[in-house]
Amino acid sequence: MTVTSALRDPSALDAPSALLEIRDLTLDLSDGTRLLHGITLSVAPGETVGLVGESGSGKSLTARTVLGLTPDRAHIGGSVSVDGRSPLSPAALRAIRRSDAAMVFQDPRAGINTMRTIGDHLTEALRLNEGWSRGRARARAAELLADVRLPSPAEHLDQHPHELSGGMLQRVMIAGALTTAPRLLVCDEPTTALDVTTQAEIVQVLRELCADRGMGMLFITHDLNLAGSLCDRLVVMKDGAVVEEGPALEVLRDPQAEYTKRLVAATPRLSGEDGAVGSGAAGDGPMVQVAGVSKTYRVRGRGEVRAVVGADLEIPAGGALAVVGESGSGKSTLARMIVGLEQTDTGAIRIGGRDTSAVPKGREQRLARAKSVQMVFQDPYLSLDPRIPARQAVSDVLQLHAGLDRAAAGARAMELLAAVGLGEEHAVARPKTLSGGQRQRVAIARALAIEPDLLVMDEATSALDVSVQAQVLDLVAEIRRAQGLTLLFISHDLAVVRRVCEQTVVMRRGEIVEHGATAEILSAPQHPYTRLLLDSVPVPA
Amino acid sequence: MTVPTPTLAVRVLRMPKRLRGRGIVFASLAVLAVVTLAAILAPWVAPYDPDAVDFTAFYAPPSPAHWLGTDSLGRDLLSRIVWGGRTALLGPLLVVTFSTALGILLGLVAGWRGGWIDAVLGRVFDVLFAFPSLLIAMMAVALFGKGLVAPVIAMSISYAPFVARLTRSLVAAERTRPYVAAYRVQGFGGAWIALRRVLPNIAPIVGAQSTLNFGYVLAELAGLSFLGLGVQPPTADWGAMINEAQGGIAAGQFLPAIAPAVVVVLVVVAVNIVGEDLSDRIGGEIPA
Repeated sequence: MTVTSALRDPSALDAPSALLEIRDLTLDLSDGTRLLHGITLSVAPGETVGLVGESGSGKSLTARTVLGLTPDRAHIGGSVSVDGRSPLSPAALRAIRRSDAAMVFQDPRAGINTMRTIGDHLTEALRLNEGWSRGRARARAAELLADVRLPSPAEHLDQHPHELSGGMLQRVMIAGALTTAPRLLVCDEPTTALDVTTQAEIVQVLRELCADRGMGMLFITHDLNLAGSLCDRLVVMKDGAVVEEGPALEVLRDPQAEYTKRLVAATPRLSGEDGAVGSGAAGDGPMVQVAGVSKTYRVRGRGEVRAVVGADLEIPAGGALAVVGESGSGKSTLARMIVGLEQTDTGAIRIGGRDTSAVPKGREQRLARAKSVQMVFQDPYLSLDPRIPARQAVSDVLQLHAGLDRAAAGARAMELLAAVGLGEEHAVARPKTLSGGQRQRVAIARALAIEPDLLVMDEATSALDVSVQAQVLDLVAEIRRAQGLTLLFISHDLAVVRRVCEQTVVMRRGEIVEHGATAEILSAPQHPYTRLLLDSVPVPA
Repeated sequence: MTVPTPTLAVRVLRMPKRLRGRGIVFASLAVLAVVTLAAILAPWVAPYDPDAVDFTAFYAPPSPAHWLGTDSLGRDLLSRIVWGGRTALLGPLLVVTFSTALGILLGLVAGWRGGWIDAVLGRVFDVLFAFPSLLIAMMAVALFGKGLVAPVIAMSISYAPFVARLTRSLVAAERTRPYVAAYRVQGFGGAWIALRRVLPNIAPIVGAQSTLNFGYVLAELAGLSFLGLGVQPPTADWGAMINEAQGGIAAGQFLPAIAPAVVVVLVVVAVNIVGEDLSDRIGGEIPA
């Protein structure tokens, strides 16, 4: 192991001169809660270290201490050294922030002043800290924008943040971090809010910058595949402690710690034996028919936006179809039209032989519509009523649809919750006290309580940690096997889709560009956009 | 590098807000409890009949017999304050109840339905906001006569827009949340979702606003009585007592005017502190 790591990363040989050295870092909040339990890690010059873990693992907290961004009144123990200086001492912190280290955050839009131009953002540090003239700082800013591969950098200097896309803005933020020529770059989930094709471009930019400048990088991510494709070494964290550390490929191929093993197993991949197969119950003609459905929005100042253009798709009874696309592809609009949250402009939607394009009028039609299609929403934190406990959420639906009395509905709700792996203690809990995975189970139980013809899942696992996502995907697969459920699965993640759906549709800018068996689309994509999507998915190499 | 010793002010600011506010909130609750109980139990706790005139003791100074002294007619001040709490607290209570009910109804309709109803109601609120509530109350008195009834109705109407506007914005925000869409997909009707699910979710915030309104209304109704347009003498009422005591101020007798004024200020401040605390607490509970 030591041999390979030394070969992969020559600079690790002269380890004493590490760029970033964190030793036994502990962090306690003012109420005595210990969030970090003795973190030790180092980053050598020119090395990229991935800090991976699920939400709540303390990976962001660890990374933020490098730039002195600690919670108020927190008590910090151990030592942190950036190029020999400690960010824990107020005096050295300013020097570190000014010249040694810089940080790129997850959401570029939250970190930039919307009222000022890109040029203002980039030149401010140079003019105030280095005392450069306006012209010189501008020229340097243009150079930096060129370094992060923004086309026509000089023009972007006079634009405001709202004129740039998320991916372009994240490049601006990276350029901003580079203005002081730092030797260490800390990236906190810099591509999580971006589409996969944009992520691939940003990662490429980061890779080149580190190589050109010999810059060290601490890259925080929840995505093991991304970390594996970018980083030299990985540090795996769980519950505020490091559970494993080693060369990236070794950690991914041959994980030692129990937790890492589970994490690697839960991470969806584009290839392997665990692809979805038909439930076998298929037959009896199509359950869902969508024909020529279009939707156009009129947006003030931007004219017409064609969200969905002439979409056609069919799902056989008991089948599972995935709709894959990036943000703005119209996949969510399509899903919302199918469940009736949006009206179609043209086209017809038939579910279980019934036309569902019209707005339901009156109680009868409303209930019939609900019976034909149900939906599990993206964010389980927002799609459950904050005041209603789990069992009531399910029993309300049963009382409405099955006409059960209170006691019978409550008992049936318990059965449904038990079927998705929730117990008595969760039944009386409000959503606030449930974890993300538990909430999504409640949402699934609630949708299945109606026994719908079609279940639509709109990015239903994308807000969840990978291990929880794996559990929810297993649950869905099991329900499909047991009940012959027809499923429409909306996702941006091809690797997730592969585990759930045997058929896939790829959407781009409102149009369906490719349609076929999931396995075939993944192995032999026909449309160039599908190929681009597949090539953008990070693969540890 | 030296870390400066924080001053007391800095240390107070660094204290968690919960600890800082606790004591004063409890004190406020205690003030409100005492005043409310005294008003309810007036016949038993007041040492004298509030209207009993004692010609032997005009402007008697505080003494064991009269804790706060007496007024220009020799009436016991403490007893009048205790009895005066009845009208002084009943008025705002009625106003807050009516204005909250009316405001929630209008706000719910405007926020939930949106469109032209929202636009029309919005303009109506704007017009009502343009008139000070005291002015509307005085107009009502001019039309319907003095007393408590006309001002209470007028103030209920003029305070309803405060509640309605808050309710409207909360409902409009809530309406776009995924959990409401989830209810729709499950086949629940709009009225059921709005009344049984959305309304209870926003009720605590509206309730906190109404608590704050209680303080403002109390001060304004006391002001109205002070102007002689509200509760009429000889009925004991804090505002009316200050009015009656005006004559004594020229004669150097401040206590009959100051005592009820202090009580008004105490109660209004206490209500505000409790109201602020409520909205702080509830504010933390609102899902993002």
